[in-house]
Amino acid sequence: MSTAQTDKNSSPQSRLLDPRVLASLSNLELVAKAVVEGFVIGLHRSPKFGFSQEFVEYRQYTDGDDPRYIDWNVYARTDRTVIKRFLGETNSHLMLLLDTSASMGYGSGDTTKLQYGKYLGACLAYLASRQHDAVGVMLFDDEVVDYRPPTSKPGSLQGVIHTLDKADASLGTDINKPMTRFREHVKKRGLVAVISDFYCDAEELLEHIRPLAMTGQDVIMFHLLDKDELDPQIKQSTLYEDMETGDAIEVEPAFMQKTYREKIQKHIAAIEEAANGIRADHVLLDTSEPLDKGLHNYLTFREKRG
Amino acid sequence: MALLGPLFLLGLLGIGMPIWLHRLETQVTEREPFATTMFLEPAKKRIHVQKKLKYLLLMALRILFFVFLVLAFTRPVLFSPPQALITEDTTHHVLVLDTSFSMQADGRFDQALESARDIINDMAEDDVASVYSAASGVTTVAPVTSDRETLNQSLNSMTASYGKLDLGNMITSLNTMVEASNANFILHVISDFQQSGQAVRFADMIPDVINGRPVTLEIERIATENTPNWAVDTVLVSRPGSVEVGIRGYNTGEDSSSRSLSLAINGIMQQEQSVLLEGDSITFFTFNDVVFEEGDNKVDIQLTPADALGGDDGRFTVFDNSPPAPVLLLTDDPDSLGITYITAALETAPRGYEVILQAIEDFDTRVLQRYPWIVIEDIGAINASLASAINDYVSGGGAVLAASGESSLGLSSVPVLNLDVGNISVRREGRNPITMIDSSHPALTETSGWGSVNLQALPVTASDADRTLIAQANEQAVLLERTIGRGRFMLLTTALDNTLSDLPVKPVFVTFMAEAARYLSNENLLIREQVAESFLQLTTAGGASGQVFDPNGDSLLSLSDTTQAQDIALNLTGYYQVFTPGGEVLVAVNPDRRESDLTIMDAQVLQNWQNVVAGTATPGEQGLNTEALIQTEELEEREIWRIFLILLAIIVIAESILGNQHLRVKTGTL
Repeated sequence: MSTAQTDKNSSPQSRLLDPRVLASLSNLELVAKAVVEGFVIGLHRSPKFGFSQEFVEYRQYTDGDDPRYIDWNVYARTDRTVIKRFLGETNSHLMLLLDTSASMGYGSGDTTKLQYGKYLGACLAYLASRQHDAVGVMLFDDEVVDYRPPTSKPGSLQGVIHTLDKADASLGTDINKPMTRFREHVKKRGLVAVISDFYCDAEELLEHIRPLAMTGQDVIMFHLLDKDELDPQIKQSTLYEDMETGDAIEVEPAFMQKTYREKIQKHIAAIEEAANGIRADHVLLDTSEPLDKGLHNYLTFREKRG
Repeated sequence: MALLGPLFLLGLLGIGMPIWLHRLETQVTEREPFATTMFLEPAKKRIHVQKKLKYLLLMALRILFFVFLVLAFTRPVLFSPPQALITEDTTHHVLVLDTSFSMQADGRFDQALESARDIINDMAEDDVASVYSAASGVTTVAPVTSDRETLNQSLNSMTASYGKLDLGNMITSLNTMVEASNANFILHVISDFQQSGQAVRFADMIPDVINGRPVTLEIERIATENTPNWAVDTVLVSRPGSVEVGIRGYNTGEDSSSRSLSLAINGIMQQEQSVLLEGDSITFFTFNDVVFEEGDNKVDIQLTPADALGGDDGRFTVFDNSPPAPVLLLTDDPDSLGITYITAALETAPRGYEVILQAIEDFDTRVLQRYPWIVIEDIGAINASLASAINDYVSGGGAVLAASGESSLGLSSVPVLNLDVGNISVRREGRNPITMIDSSHPALTETSGWGSVNLQALPVTASDADRTLIAQANEQAVLLERTIGRGRFMLLTTALDNTLSDLPVKPVFVTFMAEAARYLSNENLLIREQVAESFLQLTTAGGASGQVFDPNGDSLLSLSDTTQAQDIALNLTGYYQVFTPGGEVLVAVNPDRRESDLTIMDAQVLQNWQNVVAGTATPGEQGLNTEALIQTEELEEREIWRIFLILLAIIVIAESILGNQHLRVKTGTL
């Protein structure tokens, strides 16, 4: 009932950002488009975060630029190859690192953390694509499951979205191997968005992400947690089974009410501290909330690093 | 185990049900998936393990429920060895406490208990003991045990009784009661050792050798000197209104004593007089003009102040003040000698009968129903109509004692009974003594002296319906009885006029007439005065039992017991009320007079007794070894189904509580 009232009173774009609504859309690209377009419309109302396709200047074409953006009219008149530059357009790339470990398969509501991560990844890819950034993706659990290098070639967005779409929660989390692999393949400076629940040791995480920062990568860590992971509500003793290890532990409501919350908050704080240590951004996302917070943080982050 | 035990064991199949149900239940294990358990801590008591254990416990309880239910029905028994293990090194203390009436004097019994406690407390660690009380009989108070506490507790329940101790009877009883073993026996006899308690035969006081083990007699003397005592010895009540009391002094020497003697009738004080009692003799005092009520009277005599043994300073007596019962005596010659003998015998009987003499020729048969029984002096004198009337009278519940006088000699058949009569021989064939007497018959139990009676019997031929009670050597019936309808007819086949028989002039005649009168009149034959710890034989109260109340007013028979004849132990002194089909009867119970004599046994006699007992020990005589003995001891069999019933109740309660808890706790959901 309360949900219905919320939907009724909210704006169309915010409705599109609601994970529960997105979950009803089977096409991830459609999700990305709907979210980003809605999000962009919303941004026009904000003077601070202006984002449009307005022309800014010409610049000399250099190798590596997408030839689609060469202004052929100018070439015809001046015999110079220049390309158009628009507001918000950058010459960067975005690498999405999506955790597909079993724990990401958890979701107390309609949307699991992995699904939410896919939405977020797709939206970020779409957003980056609109800004002509190269987009790549890496799926990992305790191994690298899938890898698509960043590129701004036509169709790269669909490739990224397709890769995200086929991601499936499977095994445990080991941040070591994916980071090593990532460092081996991505030498160019850019943006790295790590989407994970970060159920790992903060110190260990810091050790593996630190090299990225040292090689000039700007890292943003989207920390996805379910509402029941942040605020568990149980009334009886419950036998919990670890989705990654299969271990079962029986806990009491009193523990979940107090000690667990303290521990998870302490962990979040530790992850955030680790992020701060390498000048990375840490964004905690509740998977029951709309995606706009994630996108908003991304843009803020990009603006700062742009 | 009961006969149906094996069938009940099939009930054990029922344990399959809880197992099946729990198996179904345990297949459902709910687990809640969670992203990670890295921040979780198991509940302090591992709740799921606890829950699992509870679940298993619940199943176990339900299985046990079936098991105990089945075991309770099968009534299993447990075989356990005897309590105490006795070896050749064990000393078995046999403690025998005299609980006879004399032990009530001067706190003797408390002293005896103290001695017994000392013996128990001084026992060696491996010793065992058993406790017995001895008075008129011997009773086991505590079986063989080494537990001092049990032994001491058993002493607390003991009191001095009103019985009479005979050391010979005591030893005889102990010979069978003391459990045979290979122990060394020490027989502790704790008593005042009255001289009157000494056995008639000294040999009776020697215990049997038990398994050839030594038996040592330890004498614990409670009294060391003769104690003076006065006791009400006899109470004679005679008509009209006279009570004579005899008081005897024991160990009083030449001393005389002034006392007060009181008489109460039915609990109401009637007279009191001061008396001077002469030492060591019996002195009689008389209460005159005593008024009695009709029927049984309680005559209480009390001597005050009380002396060392107060229990014998009074005496309970029952006096039957019923008016003489009328008895019809039919005769054809009211002046005959036989009438005189019969009348005299009946009027002097303890009960007292008023003889109504009636000539047969003037007799109106309608008055027969007024009398519970009648006497016919000569059965040959009655005519056919009278015979028919008598037959009807007997059939209706009346009783007849008929003799065979001169008129019977010419009979061919005995009237009423229709027995053939043979030819009587007038020739003397020498003495034909009485050789058969049915002493089991109520009319003949107390009579003796029939052997000296000379008589000539009417030669009647008894039928199958007749019971011959007395017969001569030639098998000629002298007394026979026939039951006709609800009544009884006794025929004496001789005359009572001292012509054909000298029975009327023999002492047995009076006794016989009294007993026959009591029997035929349906009066009970209870002895109205008895000594304590004797038995009241209710079979003598008309062959059927009734209810009996002791002096405290407590009923002694259960409802079912009242339907059958019983022997009642008279353990208290006072008046027992006996309700029989014949009416209410009082029985007075007093201590045995011999217990009043507090003269103790000579020390030398006791020493000899000890010496003789010590000389009977013949170690190894029978050579039983310990192992063999233990093997021959029978295992005690104890039914334990009640234990299972209690366990069953506990299981049901526990299952209810645990089951309730289990239903309350479900596996958790978010």
